[in-house]
Amino acid sequence: MPTIIAVDVSLSMVYRVIGFESNEKHTRLQLAAHAINTLLDYLALHSKLEYVAIVTYSSKADVLSSFTRDYESLKSKIASLPVKDKTDYESLVKCLNRIVINDWGSYTPCQVIVLTDGSSSFDMVTPSPAITVNFPSSVTVMCIAPSEDVFSPIALQKILDIFESNGKIVKTDPRADLDSITTFTRELAKENYSSSNAILKCGGIVSKIQLLPPPMPCTTLVDFEMKTTQVSNVIEICGFVDNADIGTPAAISRHLVLPIAGIHESPIVNDVNMDVDEDSVHDDGKVPSFCVLLHGALKVENMVALCQLSANWFGILFSWTDTKKRSNLMLIVLEPDKISVPWIGDFKYLGSLPENVVPEPEEAFPVRPPEKRSYNQNIVVWVKQSGLQSDVQKILRQARKLPEKTNNFYKELNRLRRAAISFGFVELLDGVADIFERECTMLPGTAHPDCALQLTHSAGILRRPIARDAKYVIPPMRTKFVSGMETSYGKI
Amino acid sequence: MEPPQSSKIFPSNHKTLFLLDHTPYFGISCGVHLEFGYTKGRPGFIPLSPISKSLWTCSVEAAMDYCRIVWDLFPDGKLIRFVISDNSARTLNTWAPDQQNIYQVFGSLSGCGAPPKLNAGTQSDYSVIHGFRTSVESMCECSEVQHKKRTSLNENATELLNRCRMVCITSARDNESVKNLEDIFQNELMRTNRVASASDHLVAIDHCHLIILNVYPNSHNSSVTGHPPVQRSPILTTEVYSVAAANQLAAKMTDLLMAHYDLASTTVIGIPMKEEQNASSSANYNVELFHAVDAHTALLKGNLAQELGQISAPKEGACYETVTLKWCTPRNNNMADLHNCSTLHRITPAEVNSRPSACLITFLLNGRTVMLETPRRAGPKGMSHMLTSYGGEIFIQTLNTGRSVLEDPPAITEGVGGRVTDYRIADFGQMMRLNRLVPLKRRFLAEKLAAGGSKEVETPLERARKRLDKFTKYWPLTMSSNYIFNYKQLTEPLVSNMLKEELTQEELLQCKQCIYNLISMEAKNESLPSISSALHRGSKGPKREEQYKALWNELETYVKMHGYSKDHNEIINCLVECRKKPESMIKMEKIEIEQALKGYEHDREQMQQRDTVIRTTFDAPASPTSSNGLTNGNSSDAGKVSLKHKSVYEFYMSKKKRNEKLAGELKGVPTSIGYITRLYPQLADADFPPNVKPVVEQ
Repeated sequence: MPTIIAVDVSLSMVYRVIGFESNEKHTRLQLAAHAINTLLDYLALHSKLEYVAIVTYSSKADVLSSFTRDYESLKSKIASLPVKDKTDYESLVKCLNRIVINDWGSYTPCQVIVLTDGSSSFDMVTPSPAITVNFPSSVTVMCIAPSEDVFSPIALQKILDIFESNGKIVKTDPRADLDSITTFTRELAKENYSSSNAILKCGGIVSKIQLLPPPMPCTTLVDFEMKTTQVSNVIEICGFVDNADIGTPAAISRHLVLPIAGIHESPIVNDVNMDVDEDSVHDDGKVPSFCVLLHGALKVENMVALCQLSANWFGILFSWTDTKKRSNLMLIVLEPDKISVPWIGDFKYLGSLPENVVPEPEEAFPVRPPEKRSYNQNIVVWVKQSGLQSDVQKILRQARKLPEKTNNFYKELNRLRRAAISFGFVELLDGVADIFERECTMLPGTAHPDCALQLTHSAGILRRPIARDAKYVIPPMRTKFVSGMETSYGKI
Repeated sequence: MEPPQSSKIFPSNHKTLFLLDHTPYFGISCGVHLEFGYTKGRPGFIPLSPISKSLWTCSVEAAMDYCRIVWDLFPDGKLIRFVISDNSARTLNTWAPDQQNIYQVFGSLSGCGAPPKLNAGTQSDYSVIHGFRTSVESMCECSEVQHKKRTSLNENATELLNRCRMVCITSARDNESVKNLEDIFQNELMRTNRVASASDHLVAIDHCHLIILNVYPNSHNSSVTGHPPVQRSPILTTEVYSVAAANQLAAKMTDLLMAHYDLASTTVIGIPMKEEQNASSSANYNVELFHAVDAHTALLKGNLAQELGQISAPKEGACYETVTLKWCTPRNNNMADLHNCSTLHRITPAEVNSRPSACLITFLLNGRTVMLETPRRAGPKGMSHMLTSYGGEIFIQTLNTGRSVLEDPPAITEGVGGRVTDYRIADFGQMMRLNRLVPLKRRFLAEKLAAGGSKEVETPLERARKRLDKFTKYWPLTMSSNYIFNYKQLTEPLVSNMLKEELTQEELLQCKQCIYNLISMEAKNESLPSISSALHRGSKGPKREEQYKALWNELETYVKMHGYSKDHNEIINCLVECRKKPESMIKMEKIEIEQALKGYEHDREQMQQRDTVIRTTFDAPASPTSSNGLTNGNSSDAGKVSLKHKSVYEFYMSKKKRNEKLAGELKGVPTSIGYITRLYPQLADADFPPNVKPVVEQ
């Protein structure tokens, strides 16, 4: 997850601290810069893909550098940090929101590391205006050589409150020097940038992997309970699904799956004499990795692998190609504890059929809901007058095309009648009878004799009490003009 | 005090109850005449007697549209019940999932009919108050999930809170009588709660949100003024609205719906639609959709306040805002990175049967995907949402518009194992196809029912995982790290048959034939075809005896891993025993097996006198050509087939030629090993060696 380093450049940061051990004199700002350098060195070594931005803040926040992986350029920029006036968190948070939302949108979790001396100009009496962080975050407030007189725990707690996250406050020695800052920062980095190593398991094949960025725990509401779930460190493939079938599920996060060397890949009891080259032992690229095989096969077959992340949590492994045509194995994490992909259904009901079993027609994707949605089933809605008008007009259109449209005419008429009965709108039946009778008088001379006959027939029935019975179906009139229609009456 | 999160964990919208006033008063006209003139261009029409909806019809329509939207968006867990009240109360459905659909309610409503007429003679006691007790009792009944939660043995489970909502559509004289209704309801609530507390199957109401909609005909005025939500007691919050029946009621209902279920509205603008009369040109239409508010969260958070004004605006004539998103005409090549959706929510159109809605819906249900972009005056246009349909349901998805933290990753070829070139990708692909997942819910439930429910039945997923275990028990990742998958022409169908759950007699014989063929090859001192192996590069590779030894050892290990049935074990025994038997015996048994297989073949051919294309024979495992070439020691051809220097296509072509020759010999040419006959014509496309199939398709 991207990191933003926020450096306090208020006046109190130029206070000179005398090192406890070394008696060296450094300003807090110099110590902060040293901490940043140490952190960047750590990332360069352990977490190269991390994006880092640096912001300085006082009464006004400035972006020293936007997100980059070029740690050297960052180092050169912090070499000369300016000194400004007082500390103000409101401008900082606004600035953070702006740069994070602009670059990553509001779903990407970011890590914020605030370097300060712990003093603050927070107005302790009046509640500060509602400033919130608009992206998922975890914050670490690192107090550089805090002195008793300026350190304000309440102010720091307020910062944590703004972030609404499980943030933490850490303090260095009040009399810190460069060495102690180095040690302190390294420890912090180790804690904050724990890489997430896991095992990818596909039946008997096991491979050691790293997930980038590390997956976060997820809190969901299931059956009247809040549950927080953690991704287990064994990611187990359950089976495979075609790309076309899996479609575009919603992911709560996406992670690169990188193979790590050092674990043997498959429990092969192998008697084959492998005369391995001396050089290749030291070359990870030449050690076969299951991830690479899986990636290749998924890409060739246009399939994805469904995998289980913990008890009720699933993910999808697929071959992802970026804009530069570079391919990678990617894991998308689905929402836990629910049917996260409705057209795939409940994952526990997914299975593979033995080769001699013929699948039933419903044993294929997409999984359909037991009931059709309103928009998929010609439902009657007359809340707006136009809805009713267009339904009546449709019937009249069919009427003018009688006898060809006899079946449609009666189908629509009965649909309208049933709806009218359900809505307790019996006046409509008489109204429609009136319209039919009027329509008869307006028929052009060229009209088929059936038009008049069927319209009069239905108008007559609509006025009878039996038309108020929902179970009754108005049948077409049998006329000598329509022969062979009897068989289709039953369908209406 | 309740914990603050309880309203989130136990939402009031889990159970909603509609109490509809069915008293004679609701039979009166709403006062707005419906227009059925259709007189355009047809002068001289006889005017019809006007018709109008009753208050009852207006109420039912508004309530049903509320249900339609809720059930479209939340097929599970958001329950709605109906109670109607005239001179007594009736419930129209229950909390059971199969009663929670439009058709169920429509059906029950058709039995209710219009409100009864008030006859001067009979003094019936018509009142909405009859419905109060039935309604409160209904709300005390557990829903399925509440019941599950209550009866679960989980000690840590938080105590269930029964929070619910009731919408009462009625008509009152004045504010005083509304207050009266609220008081009666409060008393009823307390009385029923006492009953429920003493009952085993009922659950007391922890909180009820009562909304009274006072409906009056559009031609009248009402002296009821209504009030915003007021906490009447710890268990009751009430609010009252006074609305005219014909248009205000439905609009109010939509406003309430938006608030009750945290919905948001999106208006898709600029949808080009062709008119029937004027097919050459197209006009632009707008369609309003409802969905969970979360679909907008990213958009609203991700934009600055001044930009929000361009995106979100109050909906005309309603109390909610609608977000405007612009239709992007779908292209086929915008599917580049579809796995980049962060949310998924069902949608439903605000006006389900308007023509523009129907047009958009049909377009989506036919499988097309529509991208939606955020209209901005300045800056880049961003595709922020997507509409798609799956299985007859339509969804809105949020697309990640920002940068990805995974930008510029090292390609997989740059990492561990990236430079290995002989992965068994085609074999793995075949294994994946054999472990393709399908939904087996019905099959599983039927099995569970058959098992009597007492026994734990393995879920399909557990079974699938076991099957995958079986298929990957022995799985060398690369070609160069094994023999048996390199010599498929010798080891198939033995290797793949071992993975089957059951073996037919014919398959069993085929496996044995493989073993016998291999033994006679070894006995005749034939060398194994050289394999393409990166490992043996540069050196001459192991000697022939060592190769056989390694092949046998590997085969034995493999076969022994897969002893699933009696037949499987017979193969294991066959493999172990055979190698000890004298050559003459092997020869004899081998001929026996081949004769037996020929018998199967013959039977089948008689049954289906068709399709004698020999395409399936080439490279078919242990096909006679290969073994024939090898047994004859015909080093000029098959014996020297080196996989190393041949593309799959060349391999295919060389095999094909020989098979064509074989076609002429089909009548039965006796050779040293018996008759040469086509084997395994039953092998369908799916059984093709995976590396050859694509070539065939070309």
